[in-house]
This record gives sequence, structure tokens and C-alpha cells, in this order.
Amino acid sequence: MKLKKVLALALATAMTLSLVACGGSAETAETPATETKEEAKEEAPAAEEKTEEAEAEAPEGVPTYSQITIGEDYTDLTATIKYIHCRTDREEDGTFAKLVEEFNKVYPNITVETEGITDYAEDSLLRLSTGDWGDIMFIPAIDKAELPTYFQPYDTLENMKNEINFADAWQFDGISYGVPCLANAQGIVYNKAVFEAAGITELPKTPDEFIAALQAIKDNTDAIPLYTNYAAGWTMGAWDAYLGSVSNGDNTYMNQKFVHTAEPFKDNGDGTGAYALYKILYDAVANGLIEDDYTTTDWEGCKGMINNGEIGCMVLGSWAFVQMRDAGEHGEDIGYMPFPMTVNGTQYALAGGDYNYGINVNSSDENKTAAMVFVKWMTEESGWCYDEGGYTVDKDGQNPDMYKAFETATLLSDEPALAGEETLLNDMNAESELSFNAGGNAKVQRIVEAAATGSETFDDIMADWTAAWNAAQEDLGVEVNN
Amino acid sequence: MAMIQAARPKRKRTFMEWARSRDGQKVFVMLAFMIVPLLLLFVFTYLPFAEMFGFSFYNMKYVGARKFVGLKNYMKVFQRDDCFGALKLSLYYMVGSVVQLVLALYLATVLSFKVKGGGIFKGFMFFPYLINGIAIGFIFKFFYTRGFVLDTVLQWCGFNLENLPYWLKDQSINNISLVGTSVWRYFGQNMVLFIGAIMSVDSELYEAAMLDGANKLQQFKYIILPSIKTIITLNVIMSITGSLSAFEPPYVITSGANGTGTYFVVMHEIAHTQQKVGLASAMAVVLLMIIFVVTILQKLFFKYVFKSAEDEDKNAAAKREKKLARLAARKAGK
Repeated sequence: MKLKKVLALALATAMTLSLVACGGSAETAETPATETKEEAKEEAPAAEEKTEEAEAEAPEGVPTYSQITIGEDYTDLTATIKYIHCRTDREEDGTFAKLVEEFNKVYPNITVETEGITDYAEDSLLRLSTGDWGDIMFIPAIDKAELPTYFQPYDTLENMKNEINFADAWQFDGISYGVPCLANAQGIVYNKAVFEAAGITELPKTPDEFIAALQAIKDNTDAIPLYTNYAAGWTMGAWDAYLGSVSNGDNTYMNQKFVHTAEPFKDNGDGTGAYALYKILYDAVANGLIEDDYTTTDWEGCKGMINNGEIGCMVLGSWAFVQMRDAGEHGEDIGYMPFPMTVNGTQYALAGGDYNYGINVNSSDENKTAAMVFVKWMTEESGWCYDEGGYTVDKDGQNPDMYKAFETATLLSDEPALAGEETLLNDMNAESELSFNAGGNAKVQRIVEAAATGSETFDDIMADWTAAWNAAQEDLGVEVNN
Repeated sequence: MAMIQAARPKRKRTFMEWARSRDGQKVFVMLAFMIVPLLLLFVFTYLPFAEMFGFSFYNMKYVGARKFVGLKNYMKVFQRDDCFGALKLSLYYMVGSVVQLVLALYLATVLSFKVKGGGIFKGFMFFPYLINGIAIGFIFKFFYTRGFVLDTVLQWCGFNLENLPYWLKDQSINNISLVGTSVWRYFGQNMVLFIGAIMSVDSELYEAAMLDGANKLQQFKYIILPSIKTIITLNVIMSITGSLSAFEPPYVITSGANGTGTYFVVMHEIAHTQQKVGLASAMAVVLLMIIFVVTILQKLFFKYVFKSAEDEDKNAAAKREKKLARLAARKAGK
């Protein structure tokens, strides 16, 4: 009996409390909304004109990215938006809290909640499928045809190209659904002091020069010339980034021509193409220019090792630069150089966006507007990209010092896939199980194993890949050009 | 029971009467207790399995459209080198599990008698089983790293670092290194199960055997082994099934690279990296079938082994009796 009474009482309190809560939230929601309306009416006519424009072009009531002027529009908008991302390190050290604080100086009524997710690649897909994840997220690996189902369009691709670099990473049918949070130029992280001690005065520009440089490091210093990070797996998949523009100077190759190529892994004979790219790794391993025991490499440990001059270089995206620089006392020794391949006398570097901000298409119009404002503020005003050592996303932004070595190289960003073929590369990757730029670590690890144990020749591996690629082309009915 | 009792009175009871009766209440209470675990079992085991079985007939990714392909996925499982090639690695784990069981049985027999510090030994040897498998993976990753724990210990013993192999790099021994971690982890658990079974053997049997002049080995062979044969069979079946589905050591320590990718690791790669969900589901179903077959074979094997042992004993006893009878007859004849 006593228990029943207690239960009844608890239920009653819970109900009254929830009633009170309902009333409270309704009240608070009402007042600022009316205020904003009044203020908006009172405001200068310039702003009104702009909103009219917005209404004309965006019938849903959400402005497009290019229509927003940061610091002028929507400064009195009230909304609470949630932003989920993968940068748990920056969540923990308070960087995001500071950014939101800065943001609230301009937009005091937009509350931004941030949440860092550790296993982002998988968890984000799960959250996306449940639909209830917030308002802004880093777009996970989905097929481009699914973009309109989940994400709010920013603007047409043409308009976005005037606003930001790398606008085409997440575009579908000429509409842009993603804004990169950072951009990277792909190259090689190296230790300047080690290169100097080995007597390398000029950065290598071709595969042969690179192997010679590694040999010089081995002969003249105690450092490991090239640290593969084999055990971590994904660090091996990083080699795929140089497959397109870098290895052949053609920025339509990766997303358009690659799937239609009959023999993508044939030897061009002039140090270009995919063959020459992976041959660098094979030769380095075969000549003993990598760490002694590659199966027990330690990703966290390698950061301090390169910082202290125990490692010559590592093949990683530019995002890794900051981590290597901050991992010890010799941060000034860490440098970043373009990948050592030269096509017809020109060295190319691939630049592209990291994770992209996507806005939930199912959020309310107010939240979508607030999210759009936040994304644009992050891109243009926050300085986030510069602080993280990223290549600028904003068209008028500034580049950090680490990209100095890239001044002589030509920067390309991969063209998107042709209309109707947006998912073809994904399908080919899955069907052939080579997964280029999509977690295909095992195939690159295989090169290391083959070179170290002599179990397979490099040509065997390339022939095998070509066979898998051709079989996939046949299965999917892809047109093949020679 | 209910049927018989219900049949006894001539007049048939209505359903409501039956429901209020003791028999009806018994059935209801039974159902009420059973429904929760059965529901959980159904929702979290059988339903997902049925779904997965369905997936195995489709060509599909996690998101996006599916295409029905019939038995094509199953054909691919049998055609691909990497699927059944990976099963060869299970042989390493099976050999490991035999070593593990023999070791566990030996230690269990020793520790089930009075040994100084027996409790402490039991504790130490059971402890690895309590550690999370992922943590064990990380421990052994460093344990096997060149110049780290194992190499250092061996150098103390007088080995030269130059002569030591690379435990994870050398493809001829890296699977053995990995099997070692799983033996280390599970033999303690097997041992505890064996000790439990041995403890339940009536101690008077040992006394009787000692009076008959049986030594320790004979006690083990004729008393302990037959008494715990059920638990041995169970442990063997669990170990062999475990060897077929080995996952944690290769996944955490070497991420399945360098020739250590077991069937489960290959399946994981196909399902999550290549996103061929249909093919991976088919692999899972095939593995289930293999496990069924292997389990049945083991059942038959043990039935044969223990039965023949009993038969032999009976024959031996009969022979002895005949011999005695003959001797007696000869004596009587004299």
C-alpha cells in the first residue's frame, strides 16, 4: 500500500512538472519571436530588401548560402541548433566552446550545442538513418544520390563556386549540399632537419629522386627514412590520395575517367600513373628503407618520433602536419612537401575538402537558417580552418605557412563525377574490392608484405588489380575506353 | 498431466473453469515466466538471424537499393580463394585449442588435489579470462613488438636479439603468436570448469582405488576422466567452434593483415569496407553450417571414443573372469 501511494505521488508530481515545463517553454518561445518580428520591421530597409530577395529565390523560407552576409543578416534570429562532428580532440580542449562564444557575440540568440563522436565514420551513418541527429553534421560516406533525402541544399554549384573552394565535393545534379570544414593539400610530411643531415638540399620531385633521398637518409643518418604506419591500416590507404591528379596531372581522372580505364595500373614507363605511385612504396620496402618491423608500428608513437628526428618522412594528408608539429619540442623541423611525381615537367598537388558540413533537411526553417548562418560564419569569420593548418575554404581566405613548398606545384582539385555516374566509383570500388580512397587499406598493405617477403612481384600485384578492376567493369556493365 | 486430470471427471470443463483451476493457473504462470526470456531471445537472436538469412540472397549495401540475386552469393563464397583460404588459419587455432585443453586438464588435475598456494595459482591462471579481449589485443601488440617485452625476457634467458624472429612480421610464425594469446586467455577458464567437475567426483572412489593399489595415473584414467567426460566434450566443442570463428586476436593485433585474416576478419572486411552485405551474410550462414557439421561430427566422435572405452573394459573384465575360472578349474583338477 505504501508503495502504491508513493508511486501515485511520483506520477502526479511528474505530470504537474511536465505541465509547468510545457507552459514555460511556450511562453519563452513566444516572446522572442514577436520581438524579432517587431525589430525586423523597424530595421533598415536594406535588410528588408535582402529578405525579399531571399523569399523570391528560396520559396521554403530558408536563404541560400550566398544570400547571407555574415554580421548583417539574421543577427536577431533565435534558434537552438545541434552540431555533431568527429573532432573530439577539439571538443575536449575547449576550442569549440570558444568558437561558439565568438559566434554568439554576433548572433546572441542562436544557441549552438556541439557533440564530438569518437567513432564518427560508423556512428554518423547510424544516426543519419534514425533521422534524429540535430541540425549540422559532417556528411558521412553516403551515395551522392541520397544527398537530397538527408541534407538541405546550400545553393547551386555555380553560385557556391564563387563563394568557396572545393564546392563540388558533395554536389548532386548541380546543387551543392556540403561546405568543407577544412581543406587539405595532399603531400608528404617530412622532417627538415633529417633531410638536411642526409645532405638533401633540394626536395625530390620524381619517384627516382625520392628513393635516392630515402637511401641518403638511411646511409647518412640514424633515422627511419620512410615510416609506413602499416599496422594502423588507414594510414596505408592514404596512398590512394595521389592516384588521380598527382600521378597524372588530370583532375578529371579520379572521378570520371578512372572507372572507364581499361588498364589503369599499367606501367607508363615515365614515372607517372598509378603504377609508378605504388612502385615507390614497393621499392622503398624492398630496399629496406622503412621501419624494421612494420607489423608493430604505433600511430600515436610516430608523431613524437618524427618530431624528434627519428623518422624522415611519412605519406599523409596535410591534416597530419599540425599533429606532428605539436607532438614534441622540435615543431619547427616539421615540413610539408608536394608528392614527388612530375608529369611533363610539372609537379601537381591535389587539394580538396575534408569532412563537409551538411544541414538536416528535416529541421525547421528557423533551425536551417541558423545552421546556414553558423556554417558560413565558421567558414568566413571563425579562423578555424587557418588555425587547424588547413588550405583555405573561403575564396578570399589566407593560407598558413606550411604550404610554402607548394608554391612551385600546380594545385588541382578533382572534378566531380559526370551526371548519372555519381555512384559509379563507389560501385566499382565495392565490386572490385580495391576501395580506392574508401578504406582499401588491405591492398596497400599487400604491397608492403609482398616487397618484404618477396612473395609476389610488383607486376603480379598490378596485374591482379587490373583483373579485379576489369571483372568489376564487366559485372557493372561499365563502358571501357582504351 | 493437465490432459489426464482434465479427462478424469466426466463433465467437460469450460475454458474459464479450466483457467481458474490449479492446472490452468500452472500453465499461465509458466507462460508468464517464459514469455520475457523467449521474447528477448526471439527479438535479439532469431529475428536478426532471419533478417541476415534474407540479406544473403540480395546484392545490397547498408543504404540504397537491393537486388535479388538468388544463390549467387553462396556460389561466390565457394568460388573465392579468400573465404575458404581463411578457414585454413582455423587449423592453427584448433591445434591451439587442443594444447589449451590438455594444459587446462593437467593443471586442473594437479590443482584439484591439495597443493600449496593452489588458490593463488588458480586465481592467476583464471585472471586473463576476465580481461577484455580488446585490451588483451593491445597488451600483446606491445608484448610482441621488436625489442619489447617478449624479446627482453628472452634476452635475459640468454637469447641473442639477432637470432629471435619477428613475432608478428614473419608469416611462418605470426599465426602461432596470435594463437598463443588466445590460449593464454582461455585456458584458465577451461581449467576452472575442469576443477569444478573433478571436485564433484566422490572422494571415496580415490580411497577405494588407493586400497586396490591404483597409482595416480590410473586414478586419473579410470576415475577422473570418465566422471568428467561430459564437461570435456563440452569444452572441446566450444573450443573448436571458437577456433572456427576466431576474431579478436587477429583483428586487434594485426588487423588481419600479413596473412592473419581469419574467416571472421575477412567477413568483417567484406561487410564493412567493401559493403557487400549480401555476400558477408552468405558467408555467415555458410560458417554456421560448417559449425553444425563439425559439432555433429564431434558428438559422434566422442560417442564412439567413450563407448569403445567402456566396451573394452567389459571385455577385459570378462576375460579376467574367464582366466580366473580356468585357473580355478586347473587348481581343482590338480
